[in-house]
Amino acid sequence: MEAERLEQLRAQFSAEAAGIDSESAASALRDRWTGRKSGLLTAEMKTLGKLSPDVRREFGLQLNALKDEVDGRIAELLSGFGARREAEQLVRERIDVTLPGRRQSSGRLHPITLMRERIEEIFVSMGYTIEDGPEIETDFYNFDALNIPPSHPARSSQDTLYLENGLALRSQTSTVQIHAMQRRRPPLRVIAPGRVYRRDTPDATHNPMFFQVEGLLVDRRVTLGDLKGTLGEFVRRMFGPGTRTRFRPSYFPFTEPSAEVDYSCFKCGGAGCRICKGSGWIELGGSGLVHPNVLRAVAIDPEEFSGFAFGLGIDRMCGLMYDLDDIRLLYENDARFLEQFR
Amino acid sequence: MKISYKWLAEFVDVDIDPRSLAEQLTMVGLAVDGIEEIGGDHIIEIDLTSNRPDCLSHLGVAREAGVIMGKPLREAVPAQIDVKGESVSPAAVDVLDPDLCPRYTARVIRGVKVGPSPDWMVRRLEALGQRSINNVADVTNYVLHELGQPLHAFDFNCLAGRRIIVRRAVAGETLITLDGIERVLNDTMLVIADADRAVALAGIMGGADTEITDATVDVLLESAYFNPASVRRTARILGMNTEASYRFERGIDYDIAARASDRAAALIVETAGGEIVGELLDARAQIEARPPITLRLDRFHHLTGLNVGMARAKEIFNALGMEILPLKDDGAVSVKSPSWRIDLAIEEDLIEEIARLEGYDRLVPTLPGGAGAGSYQDDEAARKTLRRTLIATGFHEAISFSFVNGETDAMLSGNHESGLVLTNPVDETQSQMRTTLLGGLLSAVELNINHGTRNIRLFEIGKCFLDDGARPVEIERLALVMTGARNELGWQGAGERLDFYDLKGTIESVGENLGKNSLEFSPTSDIGYLHPGRAAVISLAGNKIGFAGQLHPRIAAHFKFKQPVFAAELDFGAILQVPGLEPRYRPLPKFPTVVRDLSVLVSDAVSWAEIERSILGLNIGELVGVRLFDVYTGSELPAGKRALALSLRYRAEERTLTEQEIGDCHGRVVSMLAREFAAELR
Repeated sequence: MEAERLEQLRAQFSAEAAGIDSESAASALRDRWTGRKSGLLTAEMKTLGKLSPDVRREFGLQLNALKDEVDGRIAELLSGFGARREAEQLVRERIDVTLPGRRQSSGRLHPITLMRERIEEIFVSMGYTIEDGPEIETDFYNFDALNIPPSHPARSSQDTLYLENGLALRSQTSTVQIHAMQRRRPPLRVIAPGRVYRRDTPDATHNPMFFQVEGLLVDRRVTLGDLKGTLGEFVRRMFGPGTRTRFRPSYFPFTEPSAEVDYSCFKCGGAGCRICKGSGWIELGGSGLVHPNVLRAVAIDPEEFSGFAFGLGIDRMCGLMYDLDDIRLLYENDARFLEQFR
Repeated sequence: MKISYKWLAEFVDVDIDPRSLAEQLTMVGLAVDGIEEIGGDHIIEIDLTSNRPDCLSHLGVAREAGVIMGKPLREAVPAQIDVKGESVSPAAVDVLDPDLCPRYTARVIRGVKVGPSPDWMVRRLEALGQRSINNVADVTNYVLHELGQPLHAFDFNCLAGRRIIVRRAVAGETLITLDGIERVLNDTMLVIADADRAVALAGIMGGADTEITDATVDVLLESAYFNPASVRRTARILGMNTEASYRFERGIDYDIAARASDRAAALIVETAGGEIVGELLDARAQIEARPPITLRLDRFHHLTGLNVGMARAKEIFNALGMEILPLKDDGAVSVKSPSWRIDLAIEEDLIEEIARLEGYDRLVPTLPGGAGAGSYQDDEAARKTLRRTLIATGFHEAISFSFVNGETDAMLSGNHESGLVLTNPVDETQSQMRTTLLGGLLSAVELNINHGTRNIRLFEIGKCFLDDGARPVEIERLALVMTGARNELGWQGAGERLDFYDLKGTIESVGENLGKNSLEFSPTSDIGYLHPGRAAVISLAGNKIGFAGQLHPRIAAHFKFKQPVFAAELDFGAILQVPGLEPRYRPLPKFPTVVRDLSVLVSDAVSWAEIERSILGLNIGELVGVRLFDVYTGSELPAGKRALALSLRYRAEERTLTEQEIGDCHGRVVSMLAREFAAELR
């Protein structure tokens, strides 16, 4: 009789389970059949105690089997509906990931600053100290101490910007050489980046204001070879390990011997291209051993100490690195220009 | 300067092709800019440094080429000077100012026939970019390019008194130069005069009255040496630059005047006929003898790192035309530099000569030893932090010219500082050194808006220049400008417009990132360029360090801004001077924080700063935070009132606060607000 009832229950469950069409119906089915308080099978379990031991054992086994079947079927239904619900939710929550991202509008550093920081970093790692000096100078710092003779064209009002009080806007960062050597005695290694001024009418390759970096090293027995090695190291770090340098004799009043320094073109590697105007070389700047008159001007004995100095144009480097066709853009502060650098 | 490859070959055996020659000239310091092929010849363009006027001729470049190739200079064929008739010159020369004219030679050639030059000469001159004029004038130009000596030919019969007087001009004296321009002279300028008047600007240009014309029969040929500084000064004052002045300014070979005169006279006779009459008049002042220069070989080694033997050093000096003086000791050599090498004066000059001719490519790259630690400037870290903070908040870094429009600068100078004025500005409208960075930045805003960029934030760090009587003061400032929308218009909706609080927040962020937590903003209506109701003085540690606010409508109108623009300027040095706070760890709270909100109605004359200060002034230990989260000024509020919504946070370090305790604390705040500010609880 018990066996018959179980078969009825099994048939009844199958029928009910077959009609389940939602997750809530499946939960209700679970409560109805296996709920702790009033589940149909739970009730059957409670009747077991009343049966004779023989019957109980047999019936208990069959009832447990049925309960396993029911539990399994219900779990299957629930997980099926759960998976469907999750799948539906995920579809509902789909977004267009190709829409533009929400961004904090971000500014940019000026290309001159980017370049200056790179240069400073290289020289600081080589033991140099960054220094600065005034932008308005006396003739002594701007010319006299730099061994620029009174009749030199650079002093004329065609080339140098003068104030009503007779002072001048510094025409090269070399002025900082003098300040540095007055402040401290050798040995010294100085890098001085800063603004300089020349009386040039702005055009695609000129501005009346631009940035230079001056380098100065004074010590005992400093040689031209040291200058060559130092600038060679600099261009390799700046433009890549394969970069070569070329030293050409040149002339500056404040150095003797003097050298113009070229480096192999970073674009074509020296084969010749538009950037290097086909020569394979790009001018880095002027350099040389500090002229003995300059050392004497700051009371350093040229027999005891020697030094080298160099001057690099940051604007020019920016122009070449970023391929600028008009250098005036550097100081117009057009956002469409500034936002291109990082 | 242009050099003909074939012409060079007349002075030295050139056994290398033009390209190799150019390359080698470059490597000894005569930088070749380009080579051009013209009519079977190669024209080499050299960008000569100002110390090498000796190379401003074919002879000079040939000397260098000879040294490079190890070839002797071909001795120029001595010009055949065939003097006819009397040996006394029909002319006379008086040099009244030998300081400005240490040497003046003159020679007369009679009976020339002025006409076109022979083709070979025209071709050579034209290849160098020199237009052919007539056979006599062309000869002077030809010899200039050949030997580097500028020459001038006068029509001898136009010279009053048949004499040359070299003297300073009389102030106000005039001269019409060959270019047809009347020049007004002053008494610093040297002229060539005849008995009556000035006939040429010494070393610069001849006069129109005595020019060689088709009618010229007799020629006076000038070959002189003029004081370089004098020629430079006169040329500058008159705004002139000629082939002659270019060379005299830099310094020509004092000794070549007679040779050049001979060469030119012979060429004139060859191309224009006539005959040389009388001796060469040569008025020479004693010029200062140049002392010998001594080179120590060990010093050469110390300064270059190269090793060069005595024999090689002498070989180079010989090749350069130096006279080697008797030795003083084994390790040194003493030389007299040739008359054309005016650039050689000290030992270092000789060191450079050997180094460049040995080749700079032989220099062995070394790194100087014994470097200490490098370092940035003291405030570099703060500068980097500041720059990075600003770009993270959307500001581009700007760099503007240091000279600005004086009127605009005065308008924007919050401190009424007086500026320094340039005497020779590139642009007359931009002739003052800036006393504020705002002029440049606002002009940049204007430019950007004109280019369609309406949302713009810029900052600049740079020096301002103040006139302080004696030495100008250079102050480093930081300025910010911002205008437009808070965010770019995008698919997520239009950006709200920026306002004062965006600017303030940026400055606060900067202060916070620099560890300066005590920035204070107090209202001001005294800054002329800022809106009197929307401007603040910024203080740090009790010192005023700058201003921030919305641009005054009058200033905005000046720049034609149709949208509000916000600007701030701070004394960068003063900010950096105040020491930043180093972070210090505080233990995290162990007990819960309770938040109580509060909404009060107060008079809008009461500033938030006063309310916040008063709340904190209660010194309630359990009150750990005060935050303003709403300011409401709707029309349904009583006039002159605004509603402030505050969030107060309470916590004790060692226990959980009871409701009773929190209520007590909060009650003190509420009653203080009612008492001090007549605040009504909403």
